[in-house]
Amino acid sequence: MSAPASTAVPPEFSASPESRSGPAPAISVRRLVKKFGEVTALDQVTLEVPPGQVLGLLGPNGAGKTTLIRILLGLTRSTSGEAYLLGEPAGARGVRTRVGYMPQDLAVYLDLSVEENVTLFGRLYGISGSRLRSRSQEVLERVHLADRSRSIVAELSGGMRRRVSLAAALVADPDLLLLDEPTVGVDPELRAEFWEFFHRLTRAGKTVVLTTHYLEEANRADRVVFLHAGRVLATGTPSDLKATTGTENLEDAFLRIVRARGGT
Amino acid sequence: MALLRVLAVARKALGQLAHDRRTVAFVLIVPLVLILVFGYGFGGQPSHIAAVVLNQDRGPAGGAFLSSLPSGVLDLRTVDSSSSAYSAVNSGSAWAAILIGPNFTAMARSGTVTLTLYLDGTSPTITAAVLSAVQSALQSAFGANGSSGAVRITSQYVYGSATTPFIDTIAPGIMALAILFITTVLSIIVLVRERSVGLLERLFASPLRPSEFVAGHALSLTVVALAQVAVLFGSALLIFHATFTGNLLFAYGVLLLFGVGNLGLGMLLSAAARSEFQAIQFIPLLLIPQILFAGALFPLEAIPVAFRPISDILPLTYAARAVQDILLRGWGVGAVALDLVALGIYAALMLGGAIALVRRQA
Repeated sequence: MSAPASTAVPPEFSASPESRSGPAPAISVRRLVKKFGEVTALDQVTLEVPPGQVLGLLGPNGAGKTTLIRILLGLTRSTSGEAYLLGEPAGARGVRTRVGYMPQDLAVYLDLSVEENVTLFGRLYGISGSRLRSRSQEVLERVHLADRSRSIVAELSGGMRRRVSLAAALVADPDLLLLDEPTVGVDPELRAEFWEFFHRLTRAGKTVVLTTHYLEEANRADRVVFLHAGRVLATGTPSDLKATTGTENLEDAFLRIVRARGGT
Repeated sequence: MALLRVLAVARKALGQLAHDRRTVAFVLIVPLVLILVFGYGFGGQPSHIAAVVLNQDRGPAGGAFLSSLPSGVLDLRTVDSSSSAYSAVNSGSAWAAILIGPNFTAMARSGTVTLTLYLDGTSPTITAAVLSAVQSALQSAFGANGSSGAVRITSQYVYGSATTPFIDTIAPGIMALAILFITTVLSIIVLVRERSVGLLERLFASPLRPSEFVAGHALSLTVVALAQVAVLFGSALLIFHATFTGNLLFAYGVLLLFGVGNLGLGMLLSAAARSEFQAIQFIPLLLIPQILFAGALFPLEAIPVAFRPISDILPLTYAARAVQDILLRGWGVGAVALDLVALGIYAALMLGGAIALVRRQA
C-alpha cells in the first residue's frame, strides 16, 4: 500500500503571500511539469485556487487540463513541481476523502442501479449507515433522480447518466470538486442547472474546479485559467480577461492572448 | 485496509452479478456442464506408472514374467517386503505393487499362476493400464508354451475398487478444473470492464487502496466460487451418486484457496495487459495447458514424458491432486500439506502481484 507522502509544507511554499492569510488554498500548484516521453503536457504550471470559488480550467483539447486533474488526484505523478490540495500533497490518501471527482468518461456502473452507484462511492469515501442513506437521498434529489433511484443506469438517457456521475462525486460532501468536462454533451437546460448548483456549493464554502472547452459557459465561473499547450497563459475573472484584452467574449480573449504569446 | 471499502467493492461486484441473470446462469451452469460432459468416459494412454515389485520367487519364472512386462508402461522399483510394497501404494508413491510369491515358478510349471497386486484404484485409466500390462506379460511369458491353463491374479485395492465408478474418480479433477475456468475468466472480465469505461481511474481517485480493491473482488468471487463448488458437489452426489471417502469440507476449502489464487492471476494479467483485447487473449493461454497437463482429467502418467515438467508449474496440478487425495483416498491435512503450501504460495504471489499492478491501469 502506498505510504502517504510527507505532509510537511516546504518553507518557501508556506511563505507565499496567498497562504499566509486565511484558510489553506483549495489548490496550490507550483512549477508543475509533466512529460510523456518527448511530449511536455504541463510546462511550469503555477496556480492557486482559494476556497469558495468556481474555477474554470479552459483550453483546447490537448492543453493539459485532464493531465493537471489527474496529477491533483494522484492518478499520475508529475515529472517535477509541487501540487497541494486543501493543504495536503496531491494524491495523499487523507485528502482524497475530501475531494469529489467526476471524470470525463461517465465512469458509473451501467449494470448497477442509480442508488447502488451512489452508495458505492459513498462507502468508498468512508460514509455508511444512516448518514449514507440520507446523503444519497439528498444528492439524488439535488440532481433530480430521486424517483429513478432503483433504475439500472443502462436504462437511463445520457443526461441522466451524467447526473448519476455527478451525484456519485457529491455523495461524500467533498470540500473540493474536480469535474472534468462535466457539461460535455449535456443539453443547455441541464447545463444551466449544473452551474447554478456549483455556485450553491461555493456559497457553502466548497470549491469547484471544472474543465471545459466550451469557452462561453466559463463566463459563469468566478475565475478562469487559460491553459494552452501545457502552459498557463492567463488567469482572472471572466470580465477582467475580456477587459484587459478588449474583447467581447472569452473565446476572442483566449485567441488574442494566444496570438500575443506567439502561439498558434 | 478498511473493511468498509473492501465490503463496498465486494457488494458492488455481487450487485453487478445480481443484475445480470445470464452471468449467474453461466456461473452455475458451466460447472454442471463440465461435470456432465466429462462424467461420461474419458481415456488416455498412460505410461511410466510408478509401481513397486516384490519378487520372492525361488525359480526363474518371476524374472521371466517381469522382463516380459511391456516396456514404458510401468516404472518398477524393487522392494524387499510385502509391507513396504503395501506402504508404497498406501502413501501414494506407487499406483500398484506386484507381489510374486516364493512358489511362482513351481506354480507356473503346474499350469496355474497366482499373482498378487496391491492397487490404488482411484484412477480407472491407471488401474486398467496396470492390469493389462500384467496380463500381457503373463501371456507372453507363460502363454506361448501353452502351459498356462489358468492365470489367477489376486488384486487387493488399497484405495478405490475394481468397481469404483468412473465419475467418482474424475469428479475431483473436474471440480478443480471448473473452479479454474470460472474464477480466471470472471476476474479477467471484471477488471476489463472497469478499465474500459474509466471506472478503475475513478475508483482509485477515491481513498480506495489497491489491496482493498483486490480483497473486495476476492471476497465477491469467493462467494461465487462457494456456490459453484456446491453445484459441483451436489451434481456429483445427486446425479452421479458419487461416493467420496474423504472430507468434503476440507476439499471445499482447498478449492476456494485455489479459486482465490486464480482470481489473483486473472486480475494480475488483466492489469498487466495493455488493452482489454490483450487481457481476453490470456484466457485460452491459461486454460488449455492446465486442461491438458495438470492431471485433472487424465492422470499425469498419461502425459508424454517430455511434457511432464510442465505439469509441475501448473497450479491446477496441485489443486487437482489435493482434491483427489482428499476425496478419493481420504487423506488429511498432513498428507496433502505440500499441495496446500504450493496453492498458498500461488494465491499469495498472485494477489500480491495484482495489488502491485492494479492501480497502474487507472
